[in-house]
Amino acid sequence: MSTLPPPPDPTSDASLSRRSFLRGCAAFGGLTALAASLAPLREMGDYTSTEQFLQKYYKELTPDDMAKVIARIEGEVQKEYGIRPHVRDLKPMDGVEFVYCLNLTRCIGCRKCVHACVAENNQSRNPEIQYIRVLKMPHGSMDVEKGNHTYDAKEVPEKGFFYMPVQCQQCHNPPCVKVCPVNATWQEKDGITVIDYDWCIGCRYCEAACPYWARRFNFTKPEIPKERLNPNMSYLGNRPRKQGVMEKCHFCIQRTRAGRYPACLEVCPVGARKFGNILDPESEVSYILREKRVFIQLKEEMGTSPRFFYYFDK
Amino acid sequence: MQNRNASTNAGLAVLTVVFLGLGAFFLVSGGGRPVPRQNIPLVDPKFLSTAPWRQTYADLVRTNQDLSDYDCYGCHEKNKPPPIRYDLNHKIIIPKEHSDIVMGHGAHDRNNLCYNCHNEQNLLTLQVRDGREVGFDNIPQLCGSCHGPNLRDWEAGAHGRTGGYWNRSLGPMQRLSCANCHNPHAPRIPTREPAPGPHSLHGPAGSPAPVETAP
Repeated sequence: MSTLPPPPDPTSDASLSRRSFLRGCAAFGGLTALAASLAPLREMGDYTSTEQFLQKYYKELTPDDMAKVIARIEGEVQKEYGIRPHVRDLKPMDGVEFVYCLNLTRCIGCRKCVHACVAENNQSRNPEIQYIRVLKMPHGSMDVEKGNHTYDAKEVPEKGFFYMPVQCQQCHNPPCVKVCPVNATWQEKDGITVIDYDWCIGCRYCEAACPYWARRFNFTKPEIPKERLNPNMSYLGNRPRKQGVMEKCHFCIQRTRAGRYPACLEVCPVGARKFGNILDPESEVSYILREKRVFIQLKEEMGTSPRFFYYFDK
Repeated sequence: MQNRNASTNAGLAVLTVVFLGLGAFFLVSGGGRPVPRQNIPLVDPKFLSTAPWRQTYADLVRTNQDLSDYDCYGCHEKNKPPPIRYDLNHKIIIPKEHSDIVMGHGAHDRNNLCYNCHNEQNLLTLQVRDGREVGFDNIPQLCGSCHGPNLRDWEAGAHGRTGGYWNRSLGPMQRLSCANCHNPHAPRIPTREPAPGPHSLHGPAGSPAPVETAP
């Protein structure tokens, strides 16, 4: 559109031609619309600092870079919550591959694991983000479609039902990792699939790819009460997340890579949860997979090959 | 020419009114406002407790607590095993001094002979069925004399609660004894109140409108 406007007619009594008036209106409207559409950028500073924006990919960070990143995160958390956290970047141990076993004979569906997980991993309390869903299932069926995770009973276990907690299965062949367009999630050599919250773009492809509904999205800024913040944090684990990133169970990476049991296991009142190193023949999980009636890996037919096993006593 | 100008002006006026009306409607109906959040109370800290359900004799000794319940010969006479009485349905009659004991062990509660576990010769100890004496601080040996597979699993760490460290070179694994979870007189795990279930973003279906918390 390179046609020039015709020169204003000197005989006209209007000082402004109709064409230039309309053009001015269109330009003004367009600029206004552009400004309005960019308005959310004013809030950018709340959740992306310049250092974070310029930060390198996790696997390319040198130890010095990581120290700076950790100092930044500790500062951000202190500013936000008034508590100085202890953030670490724990690496996988050699000769360790984690496996989780869950005893369906023992689980009573008390949901203590759900809330211990929320407390340990600094999940948002409102809106609620929970990594574990406890499915109430009728006896005689293994069909998860028949499960109900919003049951509201006075007392558990209820007659005629068993309970199946489902969380991230830490697959050998994780579909969520394959679909990530920016490699913000990957499988570590100890078997934990981790997420770099600073690299995630929030496209939610992984949430769609996961057959276990294990991944959660932060639709809003997470709301964590100061008095319930867990200051023992890990870069790939439970440091507070931002709005617009994915999160999921990471086998309590800040505990398990320091040799401890996950929070959901420690709180389980019936000892239904078992965790350990499958490469150690003396570990509980090796014993269970060797001696017990291990049922499936959940949705085995998906070919994901989970590291999370369900088993029975009898 | 005059005619066309008049119709254009009329069209513009109508459009202006329509758009202003739409703007007012959106302002009033709040179409662009964030969804109000519902009020979710924080979970009761009792659901976060990792403490065992029960205390055993060994725990009482370790923490220097009242052991008078275990002072059997404060009331009983030595070398005179207390008699055990049953009603017509073969249910044990619990003496009023022990009314806190609820019996419910075994299929149809039939493991109801006290001396299956308690030592009638010395009430301060327990005994397994072959007559071996077992102290109150060594319950797994007693329970395991009948529940062999469970003892085997427990020794491997596969039965019962654990805590602490999975990596034994970095720290100890915490173990519990049978009686930390099971009441020896009624070992079945009783039903419990479950922790609250998940709240959906917009509240459960069919519930009243969610409560707005933040302005």
